[in-house]
Amino acid sequence: MNSQLVVEVSGLKKSFGKFEALKDVNLTLHPGELLGFIGPNGAGKSTTIRVILGLIKATGGSAKVFGKNVWKDSVVIHKDLAYVPGDVYLWPNLTGGQTIDLLLHMSGQKHTKRTDDLIKEFKLDTSKKNRTYSKGNRQKVALIAAFSTDVSLYIFDEPTSGLDPLNELIFQQKVKQLKDSGKSVLLSSHILSEVEKMCDTISIIREGKVIETGSLESMQHLTRNAVTVKTAKSLGALQKMTGVYQLNFKNDQQTAAEFSVDSDQIGSVMAFLSQNQILQLKTTPPTLEDLFLRYYHADNEQKVGE
Amino acid sequence: MAQYTQTFALLKANLKRDWLKIVVWLVVLAGIFIAVAAKFQGIYGTHNQIQTIAQTLRSSAMKSLFGPLTHASLNTAIIFATEMAVFWAIFMVIFNYSLAVGASRGQEESGLTEMVLGGHPVGRLAPLSAAALELLVADGLFAIITGIGMTLANMPGSDGSGDWLFAISLAAVGWAFGMVSLLFSQLVADSHNVAIYNYAFFGVTYLVRMMTDVSNPDYTWWSPFGWIEKTNIFISNNWLPVWLFIILGIAAFAVAVVLNVNRDIDAGIIQVRGGKRRSGFLRGPATLLFWNQRSVSLFWLIGMALLGTSYGSVFNSIGKLVNDSPVIKQVLGQSGVRALEKNQILSFVGILGIIFTVLAIISGAMVINHLYTEERQGYLQLVNTTPHSRYYLLTTYVLYGAILSVVVLFATMMTTMAVGNATLSHPLAIKYYYRIFAAMLPVLALFLSILVCFIGVMPRLRSIVWILLGGAFIISYFGRLINLPNWAMKISPFYWFNKVPIREINGEPVVWMLAIAVVLMVIGYVGYRRRDYEN
Ligand SMILES: Nc1ncnc2c1ncn2[C@@H]1O[C@H](COP(=O)(O)OP(=O)(O)OP(=O)(O)O)[C@@H](O)[C@H]1O
Ligand SMILES: [Mg+2]
Repeated sequence: MNSQLVVEVSGLKKSFGKFEALKDVNLTLHPGELLGFIGPNGAGKSTTIRVILGLIKATGGSAKVFGKNVWKDSVVIHKDLAYVPGDVYLWPNLTGGQTIDLLLHMSGQKHTKRTDDLIKEFKLDTSKKNRTYSKGNRQKVALIAAFSTDVSLYIFDEPTSGLDPLNELIFQQKVKQLKDSGKSVLLSSHILSEVEKMCDTISIIREGKVIETGSLESMQHLTRNAVTVKTAKSLGALQKMTGVYQLNFKNDQQTAAEFSVDSDQIGSVMAFLSQNQILQLKTTPPTLEDLFLRYYHADNEQKVGE
Repeated sequence: MAQYTQTFALLKANLKRDWLKIVVWLVVLAGIFIAVAAKFQGIYGTHNQIQTIAQTLRSSAMKSLFGPLTHASLNTAIIFATEMAVFWAIFMVIFNYSLAVGASRGQEESGLTEMVLGGHPVGRLAPLSAAALELLVADGLFAIITGIGMTLANMPGSDGSGDWLFAISLAAVGWAFGMVSLLFSQLVADSHNVAIYNYAFFGVTYLVRMMTDVSNPDYTWWSPFGWIEKTNIFISNNWLPVWLFIILGIAAFAVAVVLNVNRDIDAGIIQVRGGKRRSGFLRGPATLLFWNQRSVSLFWLIGMALLGTSYGSVFNSIGKLVNDSPVIKQVLGQSGVRALEKNQILSFVGILGIIFTVLAIISGAMVINHLYTEERQGYLQLVNTTPHSRYYLLTTYVLYGAILSVVVLFATMMTTMAVGNATLSHPLAIKYYYRIFAAMLPVLALFLSILVCFIGVMPRLRSIVWILLGGAFIISYFGRLINLPNWAMKISPFYWFNKVPIREINGEPVVWMLAIAVVLMVIGYVGYRRRDYEN
């Protein structure tokens, strides 16, 4: 495998009439990488993916997959790509099994033992008509077809929104297997724990702009850690320290506290705490959810402030 | 009664959603009807004009198309009633079918019914009742507008009772068939199958009417569609058929209610069975299309072959001269009579060519339309991300649709020939059937190309193609009977081949029609490659 970028999106714009759905989207997916794509409802995740898939045409910027133009060379690109949408609609009169075989054939693949194993693992009754499947079962049909497809890029747009926790776990395992065998994956999801657990890199999109890209660790550096502490002496001075937020004393002596602290201030805060004889200390790095909420709120605050 | 809670609120919502559709249909249906009525005195005002058209209408060909003209003393209004009743009843049925399917199954498929029934204090029978009332409103409006319009048109020979009977019976036939459609909506779980049941029912009642009209009009009572002829408007003004329609409608609605109570939402009474776990057959868009369309296509073939058979079976009576007095026979001589009879059948074959072609175009256009409906329903998002080009996808649908159209048209012509010639002592040569078949191909290509152009460039406006097709059909099928001016007749593509099969096909219109078709097709292809997919 060469080191060419699998997906390369830069300055992407897309308007629907007057409405600018995408204003400035930049994404890169390296070979063998698992890229998480998150953002609030209507931020433009699906729109970006649909541009990448060549379903809709960009109004500006560029989007390439395997170094090829997503619009002009869509057929060639699709030979080496599998896609599972969030809302799976299947021809009502086909059975699940027929649909899986059809989807495999259409991508130039075959129904293999892997397919059978997947059907068993996801516990799908393939003899039922698509019309009678639940949302989750329809998603399973598309997932089974995608996972038993042997290509180098997999694109999932909220693929687990209808799956129960057990099946979601299977999904995560399967994605992990893809990664282990060197495949590249683009995963858009609202289930942040899923993204956090699996993805190497995370891109956050808001109102049509990608506002943050990086590994979870690198993003955690940008934000605050949660600290729970008990000390022998009073911590009253914490109130005046820079980088400390949401301070909350647990007792009147002010020897027990909960607060969050900016990552770049953590050194000085720790030094201060140890001066006061730490009895108990727990720090938690921010979860993706905290990060997400922070970006989300930042958005709202901005609006209020405007 | 709790089951009907909120019916009126739903009715209001339905009307809000469908008002444009209803208004367009009403303007066209009631508008043209009244316009023709108002102009009719100018067309068939004098005794001579009436006698001439009566000659035509008394022929079996016309009987099979428009119903019989039984009364002896004629006037303008009676001619109008004879020409319009069957023809307009067909449109009323189509109108009501389209409303009924949309308000029942269509709404359920879109998930609206579930939301309304599940999350709101709405009675379980409210959606069904709202659909029935919606049809009542639409048909009621038609009756009122048309009744008033007819009264104002005040044709010679018309009377108030007849005017209102005509308006109300047309509304009643539409409403009754709409109610039957609501019944079918309970049986099967998707609107396509409902449409199949609908048109199968309509087809059978229409054919029974046609064949009994030609053989023995007394039996026409057996077909609900035939009741529309039994009103004897402006002759004896018989209101019995209206009551029959109302009874049929209420009965159908009652059955629909019983079925509705006994079925689950999103399901039909007829249960969906499971199927095979594997498929070696389904390999790509083409096989998939075939698989999805095969029963509808078969339905078209069989239905159209039946239509051909029924028209063929009346050829014998169509050949007969209306005026076969000994004097005429003597003047023309035996060969003269035969030539005249042959011409009569040939022009009937020409009219059949138009009818069959319109239906064949519908069969193919519905397939091509699917490319867009499947796109909107999201079925194609998994196909569009496999290595098949958009050209390939479009070509698959266009080819399937075009081939279906051609095959349907050919099969219908051939069954007409086989059965028709069997009834004739001097069968028509095959070349005539081939000729009309060939003449209809450019028209077919033209309409399918218009649709492809819309789907490629402005898919939301694609329904315009139905208006164009309906317009062309009305002009060519009906224009002569209401003496449309020649320039208006020329708008219809069928006009350019209206001498076929008596004369040879004129090459010029073939060339320009195909040229337009090619241009539209290319525009459609380019547009389809360039536009965004909607889902
Ligand atoms: N065909 C379209 N026409 C007009 N607006 C559209 C169209 N498709 C998407 N949009 C708009 O573009 C914006 C981005 O939509 P998109 O579906 O990409 O959001 P998303 O990030 O996937 O949201 P979600 O998390 O809800 O799936 C939304 O405001 C949406 O309303
Ligand atoms: Mg989305």
